[in-house]
Amino acid sequence: MPAAVVMVVVLGIFALGYRYYSAYLAKRVYALDPSFVTPAHTFRDGIDFVPTNKHIVFSHHFISVAGAAPIVGPAVAVFWGWGPALLWVVAGTVFAAGVHDFGALAVSVRHKAKSIGTLAGEVISARSRVLFLLILFFLLTMVNAVFAVVIGILLDGNPATVLPVLVTIPLAIGLGQIVYRRRTPALVPSIICLIVVYAFIPLGVAVPVSLDPLAGALGMSAQTLWVLLIFVYAFFASRLPVWMLLQPRDYVNQLQMVLALTVIFLGVVVGWDAIVAPVVNDVPAGSPPWFPLLFVTIACGAVSGFHSLVSSGTTSKQLDKETDARYVGYLASTGEGALALCSILACTAGVVATAGEWEGLYSDFATASDGAVGNFVGGVAGFAANLGVPTAVGTVFAALVVISFAATSMDTGVRLQRYIIQEIAEITGFRPLARNLTAATAVAVLIPLALALVPGNFAFGTLWQLFGTTNQLTAGLALSVIAVWVTKNSRNPIAVLVPLVFLVVMTTWALVVNLQGFVTSGDPMQMFLLAPLDVAIFVLAIWLIIEAAIALRKAFALRGTPQGRPSTEEAAGRDETQ
Amino acid sequence: MTGRWERLRSAWRRIEEFHQEWFDARWRHVLRREARTQQDTLRAMLLLQTLGVEDPASYETLDVIPYMVADLHEWHQRMGRETFGDAGVCC
Repeated sequence: MPAAVVMVVVLGIFALGYRYYSAYLAKRVYALDPSFVTPAHTFRDGIDFVPTNKHIVFSHHFISVAGAAPIVGPAVAVFWGWGPALLWVVAGTVFAAGVHDFGALAVSVRHKAKSIGTLAGEVISARSRVLFLLILFFLLTMVNAVFAVVIGILLDGNPATVLPVLVTIPLAIGLGQIVYRRRTPALVPSIICLIVVYAFIPLGVAVPVSLDPLAGALGMSAQTLWVLLIFVYAFFASRLPVWMLLQPRDYVNQLQMVLALTVIFLGVVVGWDAIVAPVVNDVPAGSPPWFPLLFVTIACGAVSGFHSLVSSGTTSKQLDKETDARYVGYLASTGEGALALCSILACTAGVVATAGEWEGLYSDFATASDGAVGNFVGGVAGFAANLGVPTAVGTVFAALVVISFAATSMDTGVRLQRYIIQEIAEITGFRPLARNLTAATAVAVLIPLALALVPGNFAFGTLWQLFGTTNQLTAGLALSVIAVWVTKNSRNPIAVLVPLVFLVVMTTWALVVNLQGFVTSGDPMQMFLLAPLDVAIFVLAIWLIIEAAIALRKAFALRGTPQGRPSTEEAAGRDETQ
Repeated sequence: MTGRWERLRSAWRRIEEFHQEWFDARWRHVLRREARTQQDTLRAMLLLQTLGVEDPASYETLDVIPYMVADLHEWHQRMGRETFGDAGVCC
């Protein structure tokens, strides 16, 4: 089947979901009110609370939620065939991600723009705040470890990418200096930065940089050395002031993402490539089952709890009107679904021309997951070739995009991990760690570094699935908060409860399936590292189920009673205590 | 010709402003909080200087003290004290 046809159909379904389903959610489930005074106005302070143009809020929300994760997950999951992966991306985006992202934004706006962690403590129970911190701790540990491995694989496998990647660092620092020290408008300098980055692609092809000699001298593999260097970079990047590196680098990446999406969509249409992968792959015996592992392998791109952190952390403080929540929350989730769609098409239509070649790339789960990112890069290079871009240049272009996304996610991830470690240290009374930024950052770097360097023959995809389970548990917690809020307000919570139950069941089931695999593997690393990790996440999942069930039972009991009605301040959009 | 040139310049400025808003918005809160932390550190240092604590940069910072006094009320309230304590200083 032509990839372009699939693309048009899926984008059409997303458009219908936005037009009709999000309208239903806005009216019947979240009851958005155009006259509600949003926290951006009530608490306007020019720092956190700033009423902002909805198109700008949308673009930032989209860029914040999109990254390397919606690329990697689908690139692994097409191992089971493009049909199940695509179905989950489409259904997950329309009926779960949209509900979750939009709902987290709506509930936060109605509660003074509080974060989902704080709301979990208030709406579900005080214990839920600790649960939330622990889930986040595991989530960030996994995400930082996995992205470091992704970057290591790409830099090791594509030496031509090294120079263009390295040049983004001094360029971003230069951009920050020009914009913030010299007060120059950012438009022209940022375009120049992007041009210089792409000018370095042919240079990178001409002068590939390999760490093999140095790694050999140090007695380690080049990929391991890259992972070490990446964490050294992440340590300093997360300690530097944001304006100096993180913000300008993130901005250059935003421009790259827009360009990459344009190249993929145009390449698919112009090349009219056919999908050569099977709809449902006849996987070898002993492979992990697609049901339920598909639903944790593709987290970002179908539904991701990380989005609730963005929705309730920053976006809710910038909404000019409450009704903008639909446009920002729901539409951005379809944008991420579109990115996952690009990944599926790149790995099933762009990367190779025949079914035989594809079977070589996805011969078993370990091969599929280890090569997933490389397959995406090859697929995008194939689409770029349809537009006349030489394959060598297209490959570096695609690898650069994935590395940039993963690096920015790591910069933010390590920074967030530092906050979580400080908060956990504060709760447990371990003051030296709570108050020492450098020590907290060092811990935030060392734990995922240890996980990324763990020797063993388990597949990268296994670690990815564990990351997926923590991500889905975060989504489960956010959906519980939304469901309790909707129920208390005497509205029909079924649109929230269905994805909540589905996610919690699939995640716990996936954890049990993985645990069986780890325990029976005979590999010490799987038995004594991944299995305990899996058990810890499983305990958090059970804890979440119990907390959510208790809170929902109470919320249903309160429906229609005076305690169950929205507070005056919530109803009026005013905080009476201010 | 001049009118067209002016229109072009005005359109370019509007694009630059919209782009600047896009550039700033995502990290605005973090950047402003970092700037405020730096300002708070400077204010604390100046306050200590006015209270007699030695400051090696006192010759350079003397000129800044009136600005600190002007912002003192907003600052001590933000720091969690409703009144400054010393009667007649600011509240």
